[in-house]
Amino acid sequence: MKTNFRTFYLYLFLFLMAAMIIIPLYVSVMGGFKHTGELRTNSLGLPKDWKFENYTSLLGNTDFWLFLWNSTVYAVGTTFFVVLFASMTAFVFAHIKFAANKFLYNYFLLGLMFPFATAILPLFLRVRDFGLLGTSWAVILPQIAFGLGFSIILFRGFFRQMPREIFDAAFVDGCSYYQFYFRFTLPLSTPIIATVSVITLTGSWNNYLLPLIMINDESLYSWPMGIMVFRGEYFTDWGKILAYVSLTLLPAVIFFFALQKYIVAGLTGGAVKE
Amino acid sequence: MKSFYRILSSFIVLVAFNTANAESIKWLHLFGEDSSQYPNMVRAVEEFEAKTGHTVVLQYLENESFKAKLPTMLQSNDRPDIFYSWGGGVMYDQARAGFLRDVSSVVPDSYLDTVSAAAADAFTFEGQRVGLPLQVSQVAWWYNKDLMSQAGIDVSQIKMWDDLLDAVKQIKAAGITPICMGGKDKWPVHFVWTHLHIRNGGKGLFLESLNNGGWDRPEYIRSGEQMLELVELEPFQKGWLAATWPDQAGFFGDGKCAMAFMGNWMYGAQASNSASGEGLADANMGMFNMPMTSGGIGDSGDTLGGINGWLFSSTASDAAVELMMHYVSLDIQKEDASNGAYIPIVKGADGSLTNPFLQQVAKNISNSEYHQIFYDQFLGADIGRVVNDVSTDLAAGIISAEEATQAVQEAWEFNQ
Amino acid sequence: MRSLKSQALLSRYSTLIIFLIPALTVFTLFVVLPIGEAAYYSFFRWNGYGDPEKYVGFKNYAYLFKNRVFIMSLKNNFYIIAVSLLVQLPFALLIALMISDKIKGATFFRTIFFLPYILAEIVTGLIWAYIYDGNYGLVATVWEFFGAEAPFIIADKDWALVAILIVVFWKFFGIHMMIYIAGLQAISKEVLEAAKVDGAGPITTAFRIKIPMLIPTIKLSVFLSLLGSLQLFDIIMPLTGGGPSNVTHSMVTYLYYFGVMRMKIGFGSAVGVVIFLICVFIAIGYQRTLMRDDNENKF
Repeated sequence: MKTNFRTFYLYLFLFLMAAMIIIPLYVSVMGGFKHTGELRTNSLGLPKDWKFENYTSLLGNTDFWLFLWNSTVYAVGTTFFVVLFASMTAFVFAHIKFAANKFLYNYFLLGLMFPFATAILPLFLRVRDFGLLGTSWAVILPQIAFGLGFSIILFRGFFRQMPREIFDAAFVDGCSYYQFYFRFTLPLSTPIIATVSVITLTGSWNNYLLPLIMINDESLYSWPMGIMVFRGEYFTDWGKILAYVSLTLLPAVIFFFALQKYIVAGLTGGAVKE
Repeated sequence: MKSFYRILSSFIVLVAFNTANAESIKWLHLFGEDSSQYPNMVRAVEEFEAKTGHTVVLQYLENESFKAKLPTMLQSNDRPDIFYSWGGGVMYDQARAGFLRDVSSVVPDSYLDTVSAAAADAFTFEGQRVGLPLQVSQVAWWYNKDLMSQAGIDVSQIKMWDDLLDAVKQIKAAGITPICMGGKDKWPVHFVWTHLHIRNGGKGLFLESLNNGGWDRPEYIRSGEQMLELVELEPFQKGWLAATWPDQAGFFGDGKCAMAFMGNWMYGAQASNSASGEGLADANMGMFNMPMTSGGIGDSGDTLGGINGWLFSSTASDAAVELMMHYVSLDIQKEDASNGAYIPIVKGADGSLTNPFLQQVAKNISNSEYHQIFYDQFLGADIGRVVNDVSTDLAAGIISAEEATQAVQEAWEFNQ
Repeated sequence: MRSLKSQALLSRYSTLIIFLIPALTVFTLFVVLPIGEAAYYSFFRWNGYGDPEKYVGFKNYAYLFKNRVFIMSLKNNFYIIAVSLLVQLPFALLIALMISDKIKGATFFRTIFFLPYILAEIVTGLIWAYIYDGNYGLVATVWEFFGAEAPFIIADKDWALVAILIVVFWKFFGIHMMIYIAGLQAISKEVLEAAKVDGAGPITTAFRIKIPMLIPTIKLSVFLSLLGSLQLFDIIMPLTGGGPSNVTHSMVTYLYYFGVMRMKIGFGSAVGVVIFLICVFIAIGYQRTLMRDDNENKF
């Protein structure tokens, strides 16, 4: 009997919390179906007339898909290199004894402590001087750099938890570090790679400021920059903006759903025991 | 050897791309495709391309992104040739840093004769002509005729600041919100404080303060005191500190308040931001200028507003200038004026204004001896934002009139 | 034997270099050098155009520490940290404890709770600004349902920060929850079985076994929360813009609003350097006292 009450309250509490999350999201998805004027007068309810065209005009707009594509390129590009570089670096920190090990690890942690807003101008000048301004690299390289810190923490923790026996066996067989990395570490690291990927993809996907500063060519705009199109001189089309934003949330959500099993496994695999 | 190849290759490139892609002109603006002036921009581009064989690329950035991005854009190779500007301090900074081009040699006197002299002057800096004007605007008290008559106010009786205060009291007593204000964006608030400066100090004191300091002089302290008098009456709508400019426009358009102190663009904005999308009817709206303050040495005809236009970046070609001279011309400005897109500066174009409010504003400005460009633009990015901040703080009742002026003075000193 | 050993050594050092170079290069070029440059700019008065010319020494820093708004933003960051550590993290832990057991729908809840983290910060700010709207927002609708006139939370100097804290909580408790769930799942089943056999109920198990075994996880979560709180920026801008009357600035929004937006790059850089130093200070202190490094799995 007691357990039933407890379970009931448990579920009640969880559902309330879930509601707190779903309601704001529901409001914005529904908002995409409303006229801007109605958004002010009827925030909670269902739309009076369903203005499908906010959503349909977006889905039919080639620019919309272009911006999504660009954001995807930036996100995937960043994530690929972050996973590669961070895992390589963490591999070294986790498995190789050398003098500067701890120092270099802390060096990378610096990346977590520097507010990006301060770096805008120096970064801009650096990218410009390299002649990369206006290319995808202008967005991808800084994102890689800022993403390394956190990713290295996660990778290193995971690697440290890997069972000792595998190494011993491999070394007896004459395996070199490289071979070990490619043949054992990476394949076994699927969970942590998934975790790092989701976090990096999300970060890059949602990044507004960096692409704004680095990209001038409309054909390379990321989706947050696309919001601008709906802000006119006198008037902000909130209905369209909410529709737009709801649509761009989808890829991130889908991706997360697909990978969420791995994420927990990845975090479990020792990263959290740091 | 290397330089030979470089010259050779650039020559080849030049020859190869000579006719068709002679020069691609980048024109950066903030007018969305829905805005009333966009069609004529496109038209100007098409006419120009046909006439000269140059290609023009129109680039759009929305307001806040535009301001955030322009400084970095100007320092890259992707810089626009032509970009929108509100003139004033921001323009001076850009000129001083060498990012603008002096086009005096490309703009003939015959062209200059066609535009308002004051407007053209607004785009010069230390004798260099760095841009061309496009439009002017003015800030005044918009009011809702229905609500005003409900409260029993006769607008023609509002001649002095104290009359306005009395009117506010009366409106409030009638249960109507006297003034809509967008406190979150801050700049709508600074219009009130700075227009009081214009009334209290006039042109002379402004120039004096600009060049030699003294933003904390007694005339300006008086403006703060007068503003506090207004604020004490609690004239704004509930939650005004969280209201943005679009919110403010929407409230006014929804008929929720009697007055709003705003530029002439309020005409279109109050309709598009209203819940119905229609806003107030023309017949239901009116405009009156900021009343005179007692003891103020400014002239009651002095105006506050903008002179906006286009600047040329340092690498802009002559063709870019020609494009602007083509765009800012009688034909196009007349058409834009009749569509109510903006108040034109080409002489004679204002005759085509059909909108009564814009006509009124055009008259006010041409009669004005002192048209002050918005403080938050004119004084530059830093001092400008300080003015916005202290105006809002004053209106929120958290600083004194002296503190407000001192903050501006400090900011001015810091920037010398 | 010997050649194998020297081969191993060579392999070790070459791996070291090759594996470290990519990350080191990118990181140094795009993070460390900008930090250095920002530190350099902080000694100048510079509007961002051309090169910095006006050297002002420590003036930017002196001004900073006397500035009322900056001091307030420091305090605000402190409140954010306090709420995160005292409310958000324990709450995340509680939820993690609730749903890490194989209850029905655990996956569903996990996903829902993690959603706010995925949402772009500007978007979060926009949605919540809309919700908090005293005239038409959700808050207003609910309040009016109960017959009262809705407050304008964001316009209120005393409550605006609370409004922000709620959104911060909403957005970030999911990721901490995930970290704790992972940590809980790493607790060996035998220990839990043993506890059950001994007759320990869920609450006792939680407090006596699970939480103590989660300490390393909690340490990581606290570390990340500290650093994240100090860097809060993207949520505040669309919600309040630092207002009303500059009372809800965090240090980073202060940097952006008073430095970058006013074309005072030197000053903004000084703020950035101060934030950086605070983070480093906390990180060092944290690592020294709470986190250890060991040589497990190194060879």
